[in-house]
Amino acid sequence: MSGAVALEDVSFRYPGGSAGIFDLSLAIAPGELVVCIGPSGCGKTTLLKLIAGFLRPDRGTVRIAGDDVTSASVRSRELGIVFQAYALFPHMTVRENVAYPLRVRGIEPPARRARAEETLEMVGLAGLGDRLPAELSGGQQQRVALARALSFRPRALLLDEPLSALDAATRVAMRDEVRRIQRSQNIAALLITHDQDEALSLADRIAVLREGRLVQAAPPHAIYDRPADGFVAGFLGRANLIPGEVSGADLVETPFGALATTSHGRPRGSRVLVLIRPERLEVAPSPDGPNTFAVEVTRDRFLGATRQIDLACRGTPLRIETLSRGDVRYVRVPPEAVQFLAAT
Amino acid sequence: MLPRCVTAAYLAYLAAPIVLLFVGSLGELWLNTLLPTGVTSRWYLEVAADPSFRRAFSSSLAVAVATGAACLVIGLPLAYAVFRTQHPTLRSVARALYLLPVALPALVLAFGFLLVFSSDTLPWLGSIWLLIAGHTVLCLPYFLQAVVADMQRLGLATLEDAAESLGGRPLQRFLHIVLPALRHSILSGLIVVAALSIGEFQLSNLVAGFLNRTYPVVLLQAFYGATGFACAATVILLALALAAAMLGAWSAGGAAALAFHKR
Repeated sequence: MSGAVALEDVSFRYPGGSAGIFDLSLAIAPGELVVCIGPSGCGKTTLLKLIAGFLRPDRGTVRIAGDDVTSASVRSRELGIVFQAYALFPHMTVRENVAYPLRVRGIEPPARRARAEETLEMVGLAGLGDRLPAELSGGQQQRVALARALSFRPRALLLDEPLSALDAATRVAMRDEVRRIQRSQNIAALLITHDQDEALSLADRIAVLREGRLVQAAPPHAIYDRPADGFVAGFLGRANLIPGEVSGADLVETPFGALATTSHGRPRGSRVLVLIRPERLEVAPSPDGPNTFAVEVTRDRFLGATRQIDLACRGTPLRIETLSRGDVRYVRVPPEAVQFLAAT
Repeated sequence: MLPRCVTAAYLAYLAAPIVLLFVGSLGELWLNTLLPTGVTSRWYLEVAADPSFRRAFSSSLAVAVATGAACLVIGLPLAYAVFRTQHPTLRSVARALYLLPVALPALVLAFGFLLVFSSDTLPWLGSIWLLIAGHTVLCLPYFLQAVVADMQRLGLATLEDAAESLGGRPLQRFLHIVLPALRHSILSGLIVVAALSIGEFQLSNLVAGFLNRTYPVVLLQAFYGATGFACAATVILLALALAAAMLGAWSAGGAAALAFHKR
């Protein structure tokens, strides 16, 4: 009963294959924007289709505003969907596209025209109602798709990789627009993407999917600071992931030597995965001092604001992101930058 | 330079018979000379007055329109089924089925019709309905190809999913989305059907009854008579094929416009 959209132990397997969704539970609160991310084939589009009703789960329950809609038709679910390639009706003007959901609901032409104009204004397309979709830019088509999905006041909004067809500059601008519009409507939304920047910058909460299973669902900073495992750490943000063995209350043995950590409470001898974010590593002036190691530079990328450098530390690859412009010969690992993840 | 010469020569080769037909249709006398002598309109008037040509003219028109209608009624749902089916076997069977008549000579089909419909159980040989049925079998593949290709190009399945998510019922989706989005390919498909039907000879010659012979069938007889008369009759066939194409375009355009503006 919690949430605008809720999945309860939902499983779905494609006939004749092993792909699908397995025992997935996820609730989206009213007004919340959840971004679902994962590598291609992880089931994120399947998840969207299960919520939309294009697919029926083998087991589990789908709820919208508390109602069980597991076997309800797509139509009756009243969800606004933005498709990957927008799926605008090519033979209708922008206004007719946006008014279409009102037209099939039998709303009279003057009223639906007024509502379409209002919605177009909200997405920043006032005055373009008479154009055909083919006459608009990609970003504008995206706005039309959003307007059409919102004009009938749906119960929730589903967006299937809505920004993937746009060029890089437009994509970043549209990201903020999607966020602004979703906020202004205060509507529960699920956005599918494979772009980590999009996920981190847009989401109230990120749901990471892998092979049809929900690995972790948490707010962006929480998922970045405390990833559930090495997969999540590597998928959202960049990560140095190093196998290690606990050798003391605040010590871990790694391939490049003993590493001091904050006290971690793990039993001595247990195998762990050590996570160090590249931006937490520090360039050191000399090999003296704790947790400082000699390194060799294998690749140095100047990115303008920062440098991203691939290092080898006694044969172990390490990546550092630094503001320093000088030579990098030693790095220091601050104990508080060392995190433990379960070894997989 | 050479490719241009070849192209020009080929075009001349292509156009020459049509030009000669046109010239011949207006010539008074054409015997053993390169070009006919004298100018006259009497051949056209004679064709227009000829009762068997008048009948053939209206038969051809009726068959072409009916074939177009049949292709629309049978072809559109069939195209949709071929496009939407997920079943790979069904897909390839449907594909083979609708491509078969392209590979199958019309003559073979005509002999089959002769065999089946001259029997006492199905004595329909010579009826105009059998002629229309034959033309439909021959023309349908071309219509299907035009429409299915357009469905794929448009991503019709996603458009329909979108319409469904926006609240469209099946009939609304068909009238508001499928039909108007496909209007161009339906139109061009019908033009092809009309042109094919008007020009069809092989099957019509064997299957048509004496009273509903189509224009090309009657035309063959004309070449046993005066040259000018035959030329004029052929030019009229050209005009007829063109007119049928226009009619097809107009009717399909009208149907699509109707569906588009309706509510």
